[in-house]
Amino acid sequence: MGNVNKSRRQFLITLGSSVIALGVGYFLGSVTRPAKEIISTTTKTLTKTVTTTVTATGTPTTTTTTPVAPGLSAVAQRAVAGVKELMDKGVISPGTTLRILHVAGSRANLEKAIELWKQYVPEVNVELITLGQEPDVYNKAMQEAVTKTGSFDVVTIFSTWLGDVVEAGLAKPLDAYYSKYDPGYTGPCAPIEPLGSYTTTYKGKRYALNLDSDVFTLSYRKDLLTNPEYQNEFQAQYGKQLKVPDTWEELIDMAEFFTNLNLTAPSGGKVWGAYFYAEPRFAAYITWLNIFVEAGGILFDLKTMDPKIDSPEGRYAFDIMLKLKPYMPPEAVTASWADLYDKFVKGETVFTAAWPSLTKEAHRPTSAVKDVAGSALMPGVEVEVGGTKKLIRAAPNPVNWVGVVSNYSKYPELGYLFLQFATAPDIGLEMILTGVILDPFRKCWFTEPKYRSKLVQGYGEEFVEVYMQSLGISFPDLLIRGGPEYLAKLTTNVNAVMAGTKDPETALSDTASDWDSITSKYGVDEQLAAWQGLAELFPDDVKSVWKARGYM
Amino acid sequence: MVNRPAPRSIKLLANIPLNLLLFSVLIVPFVLMIYLAFLEWNPASGYDWWKAPITGLTNFKKALEDARFLYSFRLTMIYVVVTVAVEFLLGLALAYLLLEDFPGKKLVIAAVIYPLMLPPVVVATIFYLMFQDYGPINNIFLRSIMGASALNLHWFLRPDTAFITLLIADIWQWTPFIFLIMYSALSAVPKRLVEAAQVLGAGSSTIFWRIRLPLIKPLIIIAVVLRALEAFKVFDYVYIMTGGGPGTSTETVSLYIYRVAIEYHDISYAAAMSLIVLAVIMVVIRAFIWYAFERGE
Repeated sequence: MGNVNKSRRQFLITLGSSVIALGVGYFLGSVTRPAKEIISTTTKTLTKTVTTTVTATGTPTTTTTTPVAPGLSAVAQRAVAGVKELMDKGVISPGTTLRILHVAGSRANLEKAIELWKQYVPEVNVELITLGQEPDVYNKAMQEAVTKTGSFDVVTIFSTWLGDVVEAGLAKPLDAYYSKYDPGYTGPCAPIEPLGSYTTTYKGKRYALNLDSDVFTLSYRKDLLTNPEYQNEFQAQYGKQLKVPDTWEELIDMAEFFTNLNLTAPSGGKVWGAYFYAEPRFAAYITWLNIFVEAGGILFDLKTMDPKIDSPEGRYAFDIMLKLKPYMPPEAVTASWADLYDKFVKGETVFTAAWPSLTKEAHRPTSAVKDVAGSALMPGVEVEVGGTKKLIRAAPNPVNWVGVVSNYSKYPELGYLFLQFATAPDIGLEMILTGVILDPFRKCWFTEPKYRSKLVQGYGEEFVEVYMQSLGISFPDLLIRGGPEYLAKLTTNVNAVMAGTKDPETALSDTASDWDSITSKYGVDEQLAAWQGLAELFPDDVKSVWKARGYM
Repeated sequence: MVNRPAPRSIKLLANIPLNLLLFSVLIVPFVLMIYLAFLEWNPASGYDWWKAPITGLTNFKKALEDARFLYSFRLTMIYVVVTVAVEFLLGLALAYLLLEDFPGKKLVIAAVIYPLMLPPVVVATIFYLMFQDYGPINNIFLRSIMGASALNLHWFLRPDTAFITLLIADIWQWTPFIFLIMYSALSAVPKRLVEAAQVLGAGSSTIFWRIRLPLIKPLIIIAVVLRALEAFKVFDYVYIMTGGGPGTSTETVSLYIYRVAIEYHDISYAAAMSLIVLAVIMVVIRAFIWYAFERGE
């Protein structure tokens, strides 16, 4: 009996001691914890990398004594005034922290915007929650839609994800804020249309602000293409002129020619004739889709929503890609998207195609091709329309980052105002020129001298001209519900064909079958309505082929 | 003085925190997963999961007809069999070799178990870089054997070589795990038994096969089962080194379920696949334990 009592007593003593120890520990922890500001930078669990970019310093000033600084564009001024008004009304208080979830590639861009924000709105802190890979942002955004934690206020997303994040309930409708604060979406400095609308609108409502435009252009080594010795040699071998290629067929010959020259880049690596996306993670679909659309292909039937990719145009796109494969570095099939940038900037590829930021990177002082990187329209495909051959050119506009305000944010209006400030004509241009992945999206940056001169400094005169033309032939990404899933399935199959693990016929039929399932999941009628609207946004030349072939 | 068990009330009281913890972190999510597997729901469907329609066994049927799921499952089984077999043989051999005392033995053991201390994500990144075309495997090791042609070996471009890189990374990191268990087991074999056998004229080989190995059999089973369970969940190496590619040729079942759940947001389907995987693993492991432990009883 004594032993039992002793055990019970010991147990109760241990239990009591533990409770007391926990209490004392909690008390000590509470009294010794650092200031709240510091805690907010160290206790986040949402991301892989969390860093506070800006913290407000100094004594908070009252809004009535802080004038909106002159020199700012009207759009930015309205954003700053809006923040002051929120503070006046007590909606937010000095020291409020805004949290932005974004991908690592846009960090420098956003840091610039925050640096400028700090000059005008020092009372509001902005924290960046940085994720490493693009799909991570999508995943975190969709998880937030389920968990509703309010752990971030703003998220930057691919425009293709908009349908999903809206339907999942994450994206807050912004029409009221657009009306109240006017982000400058009309007039000569509005975002480039139709990109500005289709990337920010879903089912007729605004849910986002433009941060970017992403139309692809062809980049090439001008020094090699204009070299008289190579020009003569190419003429002798192929019986045609060495010049910027108008078609993919021409590009294949040139890629073969340069690959066989076995040139060595300044980096010491081999110079490959071409590098177009075929990688497994997300970008392989871009190359295939570009050729497919130029060949007159249409993704879905405009009456039934049946996938139309298992078609001659689909096979043609694979044919071109497979012909290019021997002249591309093996990493084109295995490495991540950034490898293309790395190789071009090192001078290791002659022809490549990517987002505008590639040109920005190629113009940096550290680039091996800073003086010899040329820009041109994407190569086209010659197709027969009404009995005559016509060169069809189109340029994909994949990704297109936009900013979305979370429905679960404590400060949605403040989140919107930050986005309006960051994307204003003056601030936005500074932002895109400073970092990597965000690129020009406002019309006046190309037309108004004060902005254009800055743009030319960052991208080069030739690119600015070519980009304006490319915008006119651009086509949207698959901006319908399930867009990321449709494209992920396509990417996987394109990569499989390029790696030789699937033949094109199987890949196309597998993709079509996968797409059917995705369409069924979201409902044929709804998907069809969205696709019909999207199809209207394709370039007129492409639509003329669709009409000639009875697709439209 | 007789030791009597503690009263039932104390036992129950003591168990409450643990049961609450287990219930909230294991039972609730598991029950939820089972429920989700019978629904048709994804976060972009526009409604909450508790309002999703019940679709019965549709997701299970779909999984059993999904060629990508079946392929990834088969590939994972091959992965488990190869890695665990090689790791076991290497781990056992290393443990046997390091059984005898020699100067610097502690240092050697520390070096052998070092890979175990690295996070798999770090190991995957290291091996990803090592197997690049101009990485040290091609440029230093194979180049010294094969010459310049080694630089044309594109490890991640072919399904078979890409798969081999995954196996190598796994074996490098997890052989020390088997080694540790085998080393402890072999060290615990009573010396008197070994000495008695030696006195009776048994050779090293006989002692190993007839005395040491039978005595450590229970620990071998534990090591193999634990390692097989872990290997079946392989994700980090595949995600970082090959991304499941080229195509989907190195996509393991964990990566595929991850993609379905997190990238395609087909939560219900992912839950159904997870349950199928769980059921198969339970059956396989149970059969293995029966074969190893209970068959002869």
